[in-house]
Parts: sequence; structure tokens; C-alpha cells
Amino acid sequence: MTSIHTDVQIGICGSAGDGTIAVGDILKRAMARAGYRVIAFDEYPAEIRGFGKCVARTRITTEQVYSMKPKTDVLVSLNDAHAIPHAEEVRDFGAVIYDSAPITMIDEGWHISGHLNPGQLPYGLPMREISEQATGSSRSRNIVALGFVAGLYQLPRQAFIDAIAAKFQTKAAEVTQSNVAAFNAGYDNGAEIYRFDKVEVGPPARRTRVHDSTMMTGNAAVVRGCLDAGIETFFGYPITPATSIMERLAVEMPKHGARLLQTEDEISAISATVGAGFAGARAATATSGPGFALMSEMMGLGVMAEVPAVVFVSQRGGPSTGMPTKTEQADLNIAVFGGHGDAKRIVLAPTNVEGCWRCAGRAFEMAEAYQTPVVVLLDLYLSNRYETVVFPNKNPFVRDAWKRPTQDNANEPYRRFELTADGISPRAVPGDPHGIHTATGLEHNEFGRPNDLSAMHFQMTEKRHEKLNAALKHPGITIYKRFGDTGEVDVGLLAWGSTFGETLEAMLLARAEGIRCAAMKVVMLSPLPVKPIKRFLKDCKEVIVPELNYEGQFANLVSGAVGRDVIRFNRVTGKPMAVNEILDTIRSAAGKRKLRKSAA
Amino acid sequence: MSPEHPIYLEDKLEEIRGSGRLGYRSKSLPTWCPGCGYYSMTEGVTWALNEIGLRNEDVVIVSGIGCASRFPFFMETYGFHTLHGRTLPVATGIKVANDKLTVVVVGGDGDGFAIGGGHIPHVARRNVDITYLLFDNGIYGLTKGQVSPTSAIGFTTSTSPFENHDQPLNPLMMLLSYGASWVGQAYAGQPGHLAEMIRAAIKHRGFSYLHILSPCVTFDKTDRTYRNLDFSVRNLPEDHDHSNRLAAIREATKVDRPAVGLYYVENRPTLSDTLDEVMIRAGGKPAEQAGAG
Repeated sequence: MTSIHTDVQIGICGSAGDGTIAVGDILKRAMARAGYRVIAFDEYPAEIRGFGKCVARTRITTEQVYSMKPKTDVLVSLNDAHAIPHAEEVRDFGAVIYDSAPITMIDEGWHISGHLNPGQLPYGLPMREISEQATGSSRSRNIVALGFVAGLYQLPRQAFIDAIAAKFQTKAAEVTQSNVAAFNAGYDNGAEIYRFDKVEVGPPARRTRVHDSTMMTGNAAVVRGCLDAGIETFFGYPITPATSIMERLAVEMPKHGARLLQTEDEISAISATVGAGFAGARAATATSGPGFALMSEMMGLGVMAEVPAVVFVSQRGGPSTGMPTKTEQADLNIAVFGGHGDAKRIVLAPTNVEGCWRCAGRAFEMAEAYQTPVVVLLDLYLSNRYETVVFPNKNPFVRDAWKRPTQDNANEPYRRFELTADGISPRAVPGDPHGIHTATGLEHNEFGRPNDLSAMHFQMTEKRHEKLNAALKHPGITIYKRFGDTGEVDVGLLAWGSTFGETLEAMLLARAEGIRCAAMKVVMLSPLPVKPIKRFLKDCKEVIVPELNYEGQFANLVSGAVGRDVIRFNRVTGKPMAVNEILDTIRSAAGKRKLRKSAA
Repeated sequence: MSPEHPIYLEDKLEEIRGSGRLGYRSKSLPTWCPGCGYYSMTEGVTWALNEIGLRNEDVVIVSGIGCASRFPFFMETYGFHTLHGRTLPVATGIKVANDKLTVVVVGGDGDGFAIGGGHIPHVARRNVDITYLLFDNGIYGLTKGQVSPTSAIGFTTSTSPFENHDQPLNPLMMLLSYGASWVGQAYAGQPGHLAEMIRAAIKHRGFSYLHILSPCVTFDKTDRTYRNLDFSVRNLPEDHDHSNRLAAIREATKVDRPAVGLYYVENRPTLSDTLDEVMIRAGGKPAEQAGAG
């Protein structure tokens, strides 16, 4: 990755109420405005008030990257007690910025300057005093600190002033003025400093024009995908970290003549979604693990009655209420297998923010084309993280492309569940005089009448499974892809969901060290593209499956399907996977190979 | 509907064939026990749809799980036989997707007030324009006779072998306090009146709840029998003011002498109205709905 001119990660750490997330937000928006690529992820506590720790990390680059960096280049401490544990994540010759004149006395040993390594360069700044001088109040010390960082690295001042103005546009003009004053005061202070650190920010990539890219979260990309796909109804119930999907849709859908309803629970949300799908609408709901568990039974009805429905599931730490504001990938099993009976459904797991948009749009197409519930599996890290995304000019999503009854045999009774070669039956919706039928959760014959004869149950079960194979060839979506070295490799990595970003970065670093390796992302978890995975595994001497769950749910899925065990690399820290930990695993797998070879 | 002279089979068949009612019946024969109250439902819904003159393809009958819930299979309309207790949210979804459809929900007391009880207040308060026909037999029939939330105290069933000790719910009072915009009661032993009530409930614009006292002839030989109900059921007083919610609740408390008739009705915006209002406020305009055209 020598083409990266700029690759800087800035972390801001404070207590809830310090304005940590707010300045992180201004930083990433300003840098995106200035034409950089941005990827950002905030850590915040589950409590709204109180003194929980907030960390806003922003990675600023000229080329597209796929994850956060394992090491931070610049750490800003707005609260030393919270920031001290994060000092160790600052790289050698990186910078640590702290308040040198805090309002409260800090106990001995609790000042961050006493916790730095010799290679980490401290910049003490009287944030509170500068804020008071510039604005008459100490409240803008977070903006002063942001200005200082911008001045220190000569980041484009105007982009920040524009981002501040945009952030406070709904407030009185004085609010913007005073924040800009605080920013400028910090900037001027930073610009005067003679730096000893080795953090360099170059100009943005020349070919990236500001307006080509949009910075958004995974959830915002899901919303855009829904709107581009022509969503007609949405039913949902608030749950972290999926709520922002419903909140944004509540604003946008009515503008487009679409209907959204907050239901009394997740059971009603999925029930109404399936009802709307039965009636012919493009219908969706969004939830997290606890809500999805409640939806299991109705997912089965969607499968049995062959009703299109799209379900967005953003995973968080579990089981039970678990860790609502922490990320995890432990709902693969319930997404793929959840519920009773042979209830095969389509499951898509995007790996980045652009993928959230694409999977959302294609999920509606697939639900209609294959007449089935489709789960789009996100996680908190992907739902909440920001990335700059470039969308195509033309909306690629197809609407209303499903097999309808023909009028050729209008005199014969309509077979809603006709057994066809591809398993897909002509679907009519209420209002069509030629398609009258009753859909049911009971096993049924081609006409939809209850029927539990052995042969019928077998044929219908087979139909419901086999029709989904067409999804493996659905146009306009990459359901798996291999990166890195071609042909035989020493180490292969197989990853899904947000963890693929860290996996890809680790693989690239390992290649730079001379290890022959490759990584494959798998976006469609059900039906699983077994043949391409088998082909890939054949090329790999060792296979590592990194994922954020304890047992290795994807590893189980894959090894069950291909009959080969893999090296499981599991973390349940509530945090995204660390690139350097994956890298260590690659090194040791490659090393083991070598050892074995030399022994033989 | 009350004949002056004896009914002869040929005359009756001729009348039924000529009425157009059979156009709403599918080729499947009902699977209920002879004498079941649900036959009156089939008759009543068929008669009401025919009287109103609805097109078959514009009607969706939604049911859950239970004896009553087999009903959609016997009708020549769209039907969705869903999950136990989830009829109302499914029906809400159908109505939100396509407001032009007439959505009739049928279910029993277990489906509605045990497993599905949490959905009723929300459909009532949102005033979803659907008709809910609840057939209350006070027992679980499809699983062969267990106690239900509307079973009487002292009722002995396979799961209450030492008598039921739980106070039964009063569905009419619940619906009246939830804010349902149309609340009525009928009795399967009076099929003519039942049919009239079904017609009125379907024609009401908003959420209409019709509570139907319906004997289970197989598993209840002692409590809610035709014999007992014939004796206890009365009409609402002629001077009952069905615009007065408190008067309606007062009538609903007289559980020993259940009264049939229209308890309460009001006209207020439906869920479709409020969703249209949201679109106007957002600066959009209602789009063509699913399935329309």
C-alpha cells in the first residue's frame, strides 16, 4: 500500500458530556469535505447521562481502507482518567494532546503525561483557559482541542469552519460564532508549535472530488438502499443499534409516499412486514438480536407461505440484553438457522458501508424474486461507523420483477404454490381477480390447501429449499470475492461481515512481510456459496476464520459445509477485531507451516 | 331474515343459489363439528359480503390458529392463515400496504385474548380500518378442550381438572376502554342478527370489534351451551345510547345476562388517515399502493 500518502488515525477520548463524540463528528465531516477518505467509529456507554467513557476514532486517508488502524497516531484526552488506558494504543512518535491546566486538581499519578512512553510525544494545552479567553466560557474546550489538532497538522481550516457551521445550523448564529472562535484560537496555538512527532498529513487525493463521495454510517446506507429500492412499508420497534434505521426512514419515507409504523413489539413488526409483503408491498423491518429472537416464528411463516420480507438485523453483544452498545458477530446462527422446522432463508452480510446500501437494495429484489424472507445481517460496528462512499449515478435496483400468474389458463384454478422447474411459483397479490388464494402456515398443496401427505411435504420442502439456489447467481451483487495472492497460498483467511475489513488489512500487511496469503469475503451466508469456498480452501495450506464470537459460528458453518476444519480466531471483547492480532495469527500459521516443512 | 312460514329445502336451495352468496364460498367444505357456532360465522360473513357487494379479490380474511381460524379456506376470497395470536399485526400490515382492501380478521378467544392479547389495544388505539370477528367459546377446541382466558370460574377441563380458578376476562370492557371505535356483541344461536352485525361491523370505517358468543358443542357440555345461552342472552335496552362509552361499559359489566347489539360506535381518523397526514406534513403525497392496478 505504498500509494497511501496520508493514513492518520485520530482518537478523541473523554467522559460523556465532554463533547467527545461531537468534535469527532466535526473532524470526520471536515476531512470528508476536504476530499479525504474517512472511516470512523465511536465507542460510547449504554447510559445517556453519567460519566461513562466515550472514544471517537477517525482514520483519514487518501486511498480507500477497510478498517480502523491497530495504532492511533494522535490521541486527544479530554478526560485523563478515561484516556490513560488508551495511551498504549498511540504509536511510537505519535502525539498525545491533553489539558495542561484542568479546572479540577488531578490526583497524583492520574495525569496522562505520567503514563506515556518515551516515544509518545506530549503536547500540553491549556484548553479551558483558551476557551475562556476566546468565548468567555470553558464549555468549548473540546473545540479548542480540535482546533489545536487541525493547526498542528495544518489541516484545511475552512473545511472545519464549514463543518462547525453545518453542525450548529439549527441553533442561534452566536453558537456557531463562538465555536468558530474557539476553533480558531486552538488552531492558531497548534500552528505555532514546533512538532517532534512523525505524523504527516498530505493533501487529499487529486482525483477525489468532494461531491463524488458521501460520508455516512452503515445504517444510513441501509436507509438509502431501502429508498433506492422503492421501499413501501416499514414496521419497527426501537432497539440499539438498529434504531437509527427507523429514525431516518421515518423522516424520508413519507416524503416518497411510503408508510412507516412503530409497532408495539418486534413480533408485530415482523407480522405486519409479512402481512404487507403478502399484500404486495416492498416491506421491511429492522432489529437487533433480542428482537430478532422474537421474530423467529413469523420468519417461519414467511418461509412456509412464501412471502417476501426484508429483515435488517444489527448484531450487538449477547446473549439476552448483553452489551447493547458493543459490537459482536454472534447472531449468525439465529440468522441462518433461527426458528423451527426446515426454514431456509436468504442471509446477506455486508462487509462495509457501501455493501450495506447494496445488500439492502438487492435484498428487496431477492425477497420478491424468490418469494422469501431475506435477512441482512449487520453489526454495531458496521451500523455506526462512518465511511466515505461513492455511489453510482444511476439507481441500479430493479422493482417489481417477480413471476406473476399468466392469463393462459385463466379457467383453471390458480396454483399459488405450483411446483415448477426452478421452484418459483407465479405469485398473485390481493386485488388480482385471477389469483384468489389462501396462504397458510400449514403444509399445503399447490393450491394452498392444507395437505400433510408425505409426498406433498417432501415436494414442497424441496421446492422451498431449491428455489433459493437462484439467489447464488443474483445479478448486481458480489456474494463472495477473493483478494491477495492467486493460486496456492500458505495462509488463507475466510471472513464475513465487518470483520472482513480488519482481515483484509491484516492480509495485506502479511503479504508485505513476504507471507503468501489470500483472503476471501463471504457476503451470502445462506444459501452458502459452497463450491467457491471449497475451491478457495483447496488453494490454502492453512485457513484462518477470524470472527467476533466465542465458538466460531461461521467456522462451524463453513467446516460443516466443506468437511474441513479451520483455524478459529475468535474474540468477544465487544470491540472490532484488532488488525495486529489477526496478523499475529497469520504469522504463526505461516510459521507453523515452515516448521513442519523443515522437520520433514 | 326471519321467515313467516316453514322453510322447505328446495326453496332454501333456490334462494341461496339465486342470492349470489355461493360466489363467496370456496369448494372446500368446513371441517368443524356438526352444531359448531362457526357455521353461523360462515353464513354471516358470506351474507354480509354479498349484501355489501364487495368483489372477491378485494377481500382478505386473516386468521390465526384455532378452530375458528380454518375459516379462510372455506371462502372464495384472499386469505391468510397466519400464526397463533398474530392476526391483528398481520392484518395491519395488509391494510397499510393496500388501504383499498377490506380486511376481516377471525379468531377465537385463545388466539385473541391469551397469546394475542398484547396486540388488541394497539390496533384499537390506532383505529386500523379492519373488522375483528372474535368467536368466544371459552375453551381451546382444536387442542381438544383446555381452559381459556374467558372460561368461567369453576369450569373443569383437561388442564383445569380441579376447576378453573382464574377470573375470566371481560373482552367487551377491554375493547371499550382500549378505544375501539365500533364494539358490538352477537350470538351464534341467532344467525340472522349475527349476519346483520357482521355487515355493520364491516361497513364501519375504523376498527370494529364484534364479540360472538359461540358454543363448543364437543368440549363444553355444561357452561356456554346453546341451552344456557338461549336462556341468558338478552338484547341491549332499546334506549341504549351507543355514542356513550360509559353506558356501553355499564352494559358490558352484566356478564350473567350478556346483551347482543351495538354497544358503542364513534367516527374518528383511521390509521390510513393518520399515515396520509404524516405524508402531507413531510411534504410528500400518497403514492399508488401495493396491488392497486
